[in-house]
Amino acid sequence: MSLNPAERSRGMRIKSTQDFAAGLFMIALAGLAFYLARDLSAGTLRQIGPGMLPKSFAAICGGLGLLLCLSSLRYEGERLAGWSWRGVLFVLGGAVLFALTIRGFEIGPLRVPPLGMAVSGPIVVIVAGLAADDRNVKQLVIFAAAMTLFCALLFKYALGLPIPLAPWLLGI
Amino acid sequence: MDMFSNLALGFSVAFSLQNIALCFVGCLVGTLIGVLPGVGPIATIAMLLPITFGLDPVGALIMLAGIYYGAQYGGSTTAILVNIPGEATAVVTALDGHEMAKQGRAGIALGTAALGSFFAGCVATLIIAALGAPLTKMALLFGPAEYFSLMVMGLCFAVVLARGSILKAFCMIMLGLLLSTVGTDLETGQERMTFGFPPLADGIDFAVLAMGVFGFAEVLRNLENKEARDVVRSKIGRLLPNWDDIKQSAMPVLRGTMIGGTLGILPGNGAVLGPFASYTVEKKIAKDPSRFGKGAIEGVAGPESANNAGAQTAFIPLLTLGIPPNAVMALMVGAMTIHGIIPGPQVMTKNPDLFWGMIASMWIGNLMLLIINLPLVGLWVKLLQVPYRLMFPAILIFCCIGIYSVNNQPMDVAFTAMFGLFGYLLIKLGFEPAPMLLGFVLGRLMEEKLRQALIISRGSFMTFLERPISAGLLLVAVIVLVIALLPSMSKKRDEVFTE
Repeated sequence: MSLNPAERSRGMRIKSTQDFAAGLFMIALAGLAFYLARDLSAGTLRQIGPGMLPKSFAAICGGLGLLLCLSSLRYEGERLAGWSWRGVLFVLGGAVLFALTIRGFEIGPLRVPPLGMAVSGPIVVIVAGLAADDRNVKQLVIFAAAMTLFCALLFKYALGLPIPLAPWLLGI
Repeated sequence: MDMFSNLALGFSVAFSLQNIALCFVGCLVGTLIGVLPGVGPIATIAMLLPITFGLDPVGALIMLAGIYYGAQYGGSTTAILVNIPGEATAVVTALDGHEMAKQGRAGIALGTAALGSFFAGCVATLIIAALGAPLTKMALLFGPAEYFSLMVMGLCFAVVLARGSILKAFCMIMLGLLLSTVGTDLETGQERMTFGFPPLADGIDFAVLAMGVFGFAEVLRNLENKEARDVVRSKIGRLLPNWDDIKQSAMPVLRGTMIGGTLGILPGNGAVLGPFASYTVEKKIAKDPSRFGKGAIEGVAGPESANNAGAQTAFIPLLTLGIPPNAVMALMVGAMTIHGIIPGPQVMTKNPDLFWGMIASMWIGNLMLLIINLPLVGLWVKLLQVPYRLMFPAILIFCCIGIYSVNNQPMDVAFTAMFGLFGYLLIKLGFEPAPMLLGFVLGRLMEEKLRQALIISRGSFMTFLERPISAGLLLVAVIVLVIALLPSMSKKRDEVFTE
């Protein structure tokens, strides 16, 4: 992946693709923050408005990002490493599924009833567990059931947190 | 003396049956997560916050504090037996501790670490008790300008003491400050950078951010790095060090305690630096430095004491000034606020039982850790044999239930997942996310104090330089930054961290 068109044209090389990308990332975030804070008034020093600090912080972030980009041209550093999409997908996906099913949701025609921890618990354990390279599905399913039971006993009964267990089956 | 009557009050609070039980639970959970690599105190405390809702504030804080310093103890066990630091602060312990274990002296290493930590814990408890009152008096002199300057100094320390590139640590602090401005503006009630999205109106929840970046993103990071677990198969052997071992490690323990204790007080997470500094010092003054890395007992005793002392003195800025020096302490702020206690100098006068009870409980907790840690080593070794493929789904379900329970909001879990992605991105880009959390925590307080200070001074920035304490604090901040940026020093800094 060539992040820098100047690399080919002028022989200027990015010595650390990681730092360069990090700099771009900071600049992008700063830009986003600036855009979001555009309507907030900065006020005066005597009476600081809501926009003063967000805008100043964003400006500093952008400046630091630029500095990072420049330093990546001069100093050797790490290369940008690849992503493990499977981890991201399954681990974070599992958590999102938990969020969607624990109390149910309604988006347009799609409707999921509150399923409670009895369903959401195994979902998050199994889906996340699939991210491991050495996964063992049978073991994972048994583990999911055991973990859910343990969490139900611990959080619902021992600690008394108001978390729905299985509203569709037990009514709690 | 005042200090002793205060400590007596503290012990009377901490010795109630409920508080002893909570302290025990905290220490046990702390040791557990310290032992398990990949689960840190930040994610655990964030996870357990909802559990403390039902407790009284003293009990809740005693338990959370127990988790924090318990994790420091547990981290060394993993470092010695498996050569994986269970906690970031145990990195140095793994160097010589694991070598000792390979030579069949695992028990001695564990024993030395535990005894050294206990000693450090006792000294640190006394330091907190002794410094608490004078620092609190000083804090009462602080106006908004001084608070603002103090926080600026804390953030400068955090930049300098962070691992890796200073520039990147700076980025993280500023990003944290930027994130802290999301949400409703306190003075005008205008929504800032919320995308018009109602759940963001209250700002980003600290527990959500911490759990995403330190819970989920850590899991993602660990899934990628195939860890080679090098569990010591040989017998652990005798736990108590013999006379020679004690003689060899006595001075390193003392020095480690002093170094760790001093660094821990610094705002900006000085505690992390303690073990590294102690190891470097021991190696420098040793008669035969080549023994280090090959199982030198000094290399376990010093850093372990430093790490425990620092973990405890880190409570000083929080309890006296109300400024959390690291992310764990920031969660303590959260726990205190939930119970209606605003951390700061007034805690000591308004809630003396909380202040002194917590300090006394630290000593009790250290004693408990010594007692529970050593006999339970066998159990911890068994736990370490649980494969990561089962451990991380368990971490995940705990995180999900924990974060859901904070506000009973499923949306929070989805937010946490989003911050998990954000944290993973930061890790991929070579950022160390810890300073971001500190910036985030201090951000809101800083903005408030800055506004107040400028209103008082009618818009003149000179107020920060005209007030002597404020000017002094800013001067320290500048000096620290300049020293860290000097080429010769930045090289030394790299050395300390890579060792």
